[in-house]
Amino acid sequence: MIVPRIARHCLYFCILAAFLPQHAIAHGGVVDEGDLCVIKVNYLRAHFKIYQPGVSGHKQYCEDLPVAAESVFVMEYQHDSLSEMAIDFRIIRDVTGKGRFARIEDVAQIGDLQSATVYYQPAVIEPDVYTINYAFKEEGDFIGIVSAAHPETGKVYEAVFPFEVGFTGLGYWPFFIGLLVVIQLQYLLMSGRLKRWFGRRSPSAMGLVLGLLLFPLASYADDLVVTYTTPDGDPQINRMHSWILHIETDAGVEVEGAKVEVDGGMPKHNHGLPTKPRVTEELGGGDYKLDGVRFHMSGYWEIVVRVTTDSGTSIVTIPLQL
Amino acid sequence: MIVVATAIAACQWWPSSPPSWTGDEVAVLKSLWLASLPELSPDPSNAVADEPAAAEFGRKLFFDMRLSANGGISCATCHQAERGFTDGLQKAQAIGTTKRHTPSIVGTAYSPWQFWDGRRDSQWSQALAPLEDPNEHGTNRAQVVALVAGDNDYRASYESLFGKLPDLNDADTFALNTAFANVGKAIAAFERTIMPTTSRFDEYVAAVVDRDADRQSELFSDDEALGLRLFIGAANCTQCHNGPLFTNFEFHNTAVISFPGDVPDKARVSGVIEVLADEFNCFSPYSDDPLRHCSELEFARTGAGLIGAFKTPSLRNLAAPFMHQGQLTTLADVLEHYNNAPDAMIGHNEAKPLGLSKRELRQIEAFLTTLEAPVAESPAATQIESKQAD
Ligand code: HEC
Ligand code: HEC
Repeated sequence: MIVPRIARHCLYFCILAAFLPQHAIAHGGVVDEGDLCVIKVNYLRAHFKIYQPGVSGHKQYCEDLPVAAESVFVMEYQHDSLSEMAIDFRIIRDVTGKGRFARIEDVAQIGDLQSATVYYQPAVIEPDVYTINYAFKEEGDFIGIVSAAHPETGKVYEAVFPFEVGFTGLGYWPFFIGLLVVIQLQYLLMSGRLKRWFGRRSPSAMGLVLGLLLFPLASYADDLVVTYTTPDGDPQINRMHSWILHIETDAGVEVEGAKVEVDGGMPKHNHGLPTKPRVTEELGGGDYKLDGVRFHMSGYWEIVVRVTTDSGTSIVTIPLQL
Repeated sequence: MIVVATAIAACQWWPSSPPSWTGDEVAVLKSLWLASLPELSPDPSNAVADEPAAAEFGRKLFFDMRLSANGGISCATCHQAERGFTDGLQKAQAIGTTKRHTPSIVGTAYSPWQFWDGRRDSQWSQALAPLEDPNEHGTNRAQVVALVAGDNDYRASYESLFGKLPDLNDADTFALNTAFANVGKAIAAFERTIMPTTSRFDEYVAAVVDRDADRQSELFSDDEALGLRLFIGAANCTQCHNGPLFTNFEFHNTAVISFPGDVPDKARVSGVIEVLADEFNCFSPYSDDPLRHCSELEFARTGAGLIGAFKTPSLRNLAAPFMHQGQLTTLADVLEHYNNAPDAMIGHNEAKPLGLSKRELRQIEAFLTTLEAPVAESPAATQIESKQAD
């Protein structure tokens, strides 16, 4: 394909101009990051998703919804501070006339927000995850407004996201497809140059990566050996019990006065321990009493013991087949 | 040649004959066997937990409709003995509608946590909650204690177990709460007698242990046996439904869809906060354990990993509808749900898609029905029965 260079640049510019500003501004609230849909309330981020459980079960939507039906909006916080903020959630009919290009400023100009409101959840502090359920009665353009008040400063952060209910299915796709074409083109043109660039730099990059990997090891203490005994008999599943941990160095010196923390889980099932076991007593001679241990299924478990002494921290993993 | 080919084809077509169990599998079967259920450990927080007189008093309270705002609700309104101590509804119905589905209470004395989200840590503290819930009994502690005081039989039972009832006219909060907690302790003593009984599955395990192949095929169809093999094997069900009660009594997110009109239930992540603050928990002054031995509370895990995590229910005596709000109507729906293992609406689904065939799902379903059994009358409960008959 022969495209004059100037025309090519024009094309990029036009497509990007058509796509980016609208996306960044109009949907400043909710951004589809490919595999993750994110709502940004100022600098605070939450994983955002909408469900229509009665219509499409577990299928997730990021912004536009196919039909007017019961819809569950979910925000899973990526910042703990959202757990402490009073958050309110409003859905209004789009009376700005701007459709999917409505912005915070447009919303601020609405005189009578109340009469445009179809759903309002007054401010509540909801730890961990925030959810609302609203059954849309009609299709059309809507705007979601989320505000979060900072518990100390009282400052209110807002996110505004226009969306369509009874979504025709096209939405941003033309823009995305356009962008994909551009990226692909760009890649083809640039690939030769890119390869050369990487080629020149890889040895030093490699060094950097290795350096980063090795660095933390340097601060570790001596290798420790951690063994355990179970005074109440062999560990049985679903029974709370205690362990005695015995800690010594490679050279067989008992480790005393250490801070010992324990965690663990089943790596294959990707979950942790059902309880939060804790060392409750140092028994002397390198022995530590660990209370609150329970396993809730048989299989392969790992107990991770973190031992901190004056000379640093060691992490020892105890494998366990139940 | 043709014969061989047909034989191979037939093997692939027909279900393999009922399993002959490997040593490892037999060990798992024995771990699920009712005969392996350990004796119920004592509950030091409840001094009358194993007193037959308390269980008898508790039984009467359990069925007494006077313990409600409208005189028409008892524990048994929702926990109906003839339905395995549940009610067949999605959400329970009394003075109002509850937030969740009524679980069975069979064998729950073994659980360190009560309710779907574990927001109580003993059966006696649990029993106090529905009494004061405006959607359930809708009464309150003063009325409950007054009822006990005003009924001669109750008053006598109470005073022989717990000592003098406080004078309601000038009882302080502590005295009133203590008397209220004692009512819960009597109910808990009764609940400790409600246990599962031997099911066809348990008889089957006995036959496996005895290596009695004839008895095995008498007890289980091929599909049931193959379903059992899947349950403990490829379908990973024993990851959570393990032990003789088919539950680990722990909290897991299995991504069940939210109930129409409700937001997804946060479950354990909030339940654990509630139990740590509960005025009647194991650390509270109403516990009878002078040592306040509360390892469950002390080592309880908290935090976002528990979003949407519900307590694994027992699979003995299954009764429809299923799950924390009765969202799934049939066992086929349940198995289809596990086979797909969708992403959770909130939190993360811990179960993985199974990729089983329709036939295999039906086999697991067939196996689950072998866990049905009449609900128990444990020795203690039988004693109460005979005492009442006297
Ligand atoms: C209105 C119906 C209703 C009444 C009345 C009722 N319950 Fe329940 N019960 C429920 C529901 C619903 C749950 C589950 C609630 C939850 O987990 O949030 C439950 C849970 C329980 C549990 C926990 C079981 C488990 O597996 O965690 C026990 C035990 C129990 N109830 C006992 C009682 C007792 C004792 C009474 C009488 C004092 C009573 N219930 C009255 C509906 C009822
Ligand atoms: C990750 C743990 C886990 C695994 C694996 C698991 N379950 Fe469950 N099961 C649960 C939990 C938790 C619930 C309650 C969920 C709820 O109410 O939202 C449940 C509920 C059920 C119920 C409904 C019980 C009732 O009374 O409502 C059935 C039936 C069931 N599971 C069968 C199975 C079968 C069969 C398998 C294997 C295919 C399986 N489960 C695998 C944890 C698990």
